[in-house]
Amino acid sequence: MKCYIQALLIITLYTPGFLTAAGLPSGDEIARNINARNEGVAVARNLSMSMTDRRGKMRNRETRAFRKYYGEEKRTVIFYLEPNNVKGTAFLTWDYPDVNRDDDQWLYLPAMRKVRRISASDRGDAFLGTDLTYEDIKLETRVSMQDYSRKTIGEDEVDGHHCYLVKATPINADISKALGYGKVELCVDSKIWFVRRAKFWDTGGNMLKTSHFRDIRQVQGIWTQHLIEVENHKSGHRTKFLFSDVTYLESMGDDLFSKNALRRGL
Amino acid sequence: MNNRWVWSLILLIQMVAIPVAVATDVQVSHVLNSHWAVGIEERGTQLLDVSWQPELKWRFEGGGRLTGITQLRIQSEQGLQPSDMQRDSYDSVSRPVLVGDKAELEIRELYTEHSLGDWYFTLGKQQIVWGKADGLKVLDVVNPQSFREFIVDEFEQSRIPLWSVNAERSFADWTLQLLWLPDQTYHALPNRDATYAFTSPRLVPKAPAGVETRLLDPKRPNRIVADSDIGLRLTSFLGGWDLSLNYLYQYYNQPALHQQIITGPSPIVEITPRYHRTHLLGGTFSRALGNWVIRGEVGYFTDRYFITTASTDADGVGESPELSFVLGVDWTGLRETFISAQLFQSWLPDHDQGLMRRELDTSMTFLAKREFMNKILSAEVLWIANSRDGDGLVRPKVNYELEDNLTVWAGLDIFYGDKKGLFGQFDRNDRLSLGLELGF
Repeated sequence: MKCYIQALLIITLYTPGFLTAAGLPSGDEIARNINARNEGVAVARNLSMSMTDRRGKMRNRETRAFRKYYGEEKRTVIFYLEPNNVKGTAFLTWDYPDVNRDDDQWLYLPAMRKVRRISASDRGDAFLGTDLTYEDIKLETRVSMQDYSRKTIGEDEVDGHHCYLVKATPINADISKALGYGKVELCVDSKIWFVRRAKFWDTGGNMLKTSHFRDIRQVQGIWTQHLIEVENHKSGHRTKFLFSDVTYLESMGDDLFSKNALRRGL
Repeated sequence: MNNRWVWSLILLIQMVAIPVAVATDVQVSHVLNSHWAVGIEERGTQLLDVSWQPELKWRFEGGGRLTGITQLRIQSEQGLQPSDMQRDSYDSVSRPVLVGDKAELEIRELYTEHSLGDWYFTLGKQQIVWGKADGLKVLDVVNPQSFREFIVDEFEQSRIPLWSVNAERSFADWTLQLLWLPDQTYHALPNRDATYAFTSPRLVPKAPAGVETRLLDPKRPNRIVADSDIGLRLTSFLGGWDLSLNYLYQYYNQPALHQQIITGPSPIVEITPRYHRTHLLGGTFSRALGNWVIRGEVGYFTDRYFITTASTDADGVGESPELSFVLGVDWTGLRETFISAQLFQSWLPDHDQGLMRRELDTSMTFLAKREFMNKILSAEVLWIANSRDGDGLVRPKVNYELEDNLTVWAGLDIFYGDKKGLFGQFDRNDRLSLGLELGF
C-alpha cells in the first residue's frame, strides 16, 4: 500500500498540471503583466498582409495603420493602399475601457463612398479576409481580461524563448460563440511578457488555428512584434502579417481617428 | 471660347499649376472593367462595354494632393450605345466627349485637397455623397445620376461628378461642410428609344391617342453664380449616434415635363423639360446596438413637380412639397453574413387628384450577403419592392476574387410588376450579366 501511494505521488508530482500550481505565476497575473507592458502612446506602421489558401494561391494587402491611446481608450485606424480592388478601404475602431460599452466601429468602402457604421458584435468574424478576427486585431498584443478566465498550465519554449503556458477559457457560452473560440492556449514569454504563440480551439473543441508572433524586438525601447503568422488548421488558410516602418510617437493628430479621415484616405 | 470654358480653365489652372511646383510623389493606377449583359426575355446582347479608368494621385509637400480619374468607355455594336443618352442634361464643362459613335471619354474626377488653417478644401470635379441608405436615395442627391441602366449600374459609376467647392471644418464635436456647385449638370436620362427609356406614366406624360408629342430642348439654368447650388451639412458623433443635418438649395436634378398643346389640323403636344429650384432640409442617423445597426435618413423638399392630368394644371405639371425617409436595419448575427432591410416612404402633403404620383409611396429593400473562403467569394441577393405598385427588382450576384487584382462576377437583374410602375416598366429588360474588374 505504501509503495502504491509513493507511486501515485510521483506520478501526480510530475504531471504538468501539478507542476503549474507549484510556483508559477497565475494566469491572471501573467495577463496583467502582458497588459501592463508599455505599448507607447501612439504608433504608426506599415502592415503587409499575405494570405495563402490551401491550394497555395496567394493574395497580398498593403496597409498603413495607426493606433493611439486616450488614457485607457484606444483608437485604431487602418488604411488599405494596395491592391486596387481594396485600395481606399479604411477601418476605424474606438475601443472603450468600460466593458459594458460596445466599441464603435466604422468602415469606409470606396465603392460606396460612404463611411458605414458597423456592429462591434461581429468580433469573431474574419478581419477582411485574414485569419485573425476583428477582436484579435483590436487586442493587438494585449489580452482580454473580461472575456476569459485563465489558468497557468505549464511551461514551454517558443523560438528558443521560455514561456508560460496559459489556458484561457471564455467565461460563458455567449462570449465563446461571439469570439468563435472554445479555448485559447497562450505561450507567454516569461521575460518580456509577450505572447509568442497562441493556439485556438473552436466552440466544438476542435483545433482551429495557431498564431506565432515573431521578430519581436525593441523599437524606441518598446517591445514590438514585426511578424505574425497564422495558420487555420480547418481551412488550410494562412496569413502572414509583416510590420515595417514602425514609429512610436508621443502625439498624433486626433483627426486621423475620425470618419473624415476614413473618407479622405492617406 | 465661352465664359464657362474660361471659368473652368481658370479653376483648372488654380488647381493644377500651383501645387505641381512642389509635387513630391506621383502614383498612377488603372482599372479595367468589362460588362456583358444578355437579355433574358428580349434575347441578345443588352450591354457589352469595356471601360478603362486611369487614376493619377499627386501628393505635395505640406499634405495637399491632386486626384485625377478619366474614363474611356467603349461599347460594342450591339446593346446600349452612347447615343442612347440625352446629352443636353450635362453642363458643357462636364459632358463626356464622344469618340466616334461607340466610345465616350470623360474626366470622371479631378480635384485638389488641401488644408488651409482649420479648413479642409476639396476643389474640382468630385462626388459628394450624403445619406445612409443603400440602393435608394433621399439625401444622396447632391450629384445627379445617369439612368443609362436605370438604377442597376453601380452608384459609384452612375453618380455624375460635379465641379464643386467643398470646404470642411471641425468645431469640437461637429464638422461643418459647405458646398458650392456651379456645375449645372442634371440627371442624364435615356432617349425615347433606348433600352432603359422611361415609359411609366409617373415619369412620362401620355398624349391622347392619335396626338403626336414633340420633346423640345430643356430650359436649362445657365448663370454660373445665380443658378449654382449651395449646400451645408453638420455632422457629429454624440452619445454613440452618428448624426447629420443637411441643407441643399438646388435645381432638382429631374426636370419637370411641361406640356403645351399646339392646336391645328394635326394637334401636337410639345413637352419642355424645365428645371426648378427646391430647398432640401434633412438629416441622418445611425447607431450600433449589439448585432444590429439602425440607420435612417429623412429629407423634405419644398418644391417638387410631378406629372398631372388635373385640368387646373394646364401644363400637365402639379406641384407639392415632398417628405421622404428611409429607415434601415443591418444585422450581423451570423458569422460572415450581412442582412439588411430598409423601408422607404415618400409623402406628398399637397397631393391632388390628378397627380400620377401617389400621395404616399412605399418601397422596401432586403439584402442578404454572405462571404466565403476568407472573402474570396461572396454571394448576395438584393430585393427592392414597391408595395404600392406591386413591382420590384431582384438582383442575385456572385463575386469571385480570381487574383489580387482581378475580380469576376455574375448576376441577374429581374424586374417584375405592372408596366406603370418604376420597376415594372422594365419588365422585359431582365438580364444575365457577367463582368470582370482588373486593377493594375
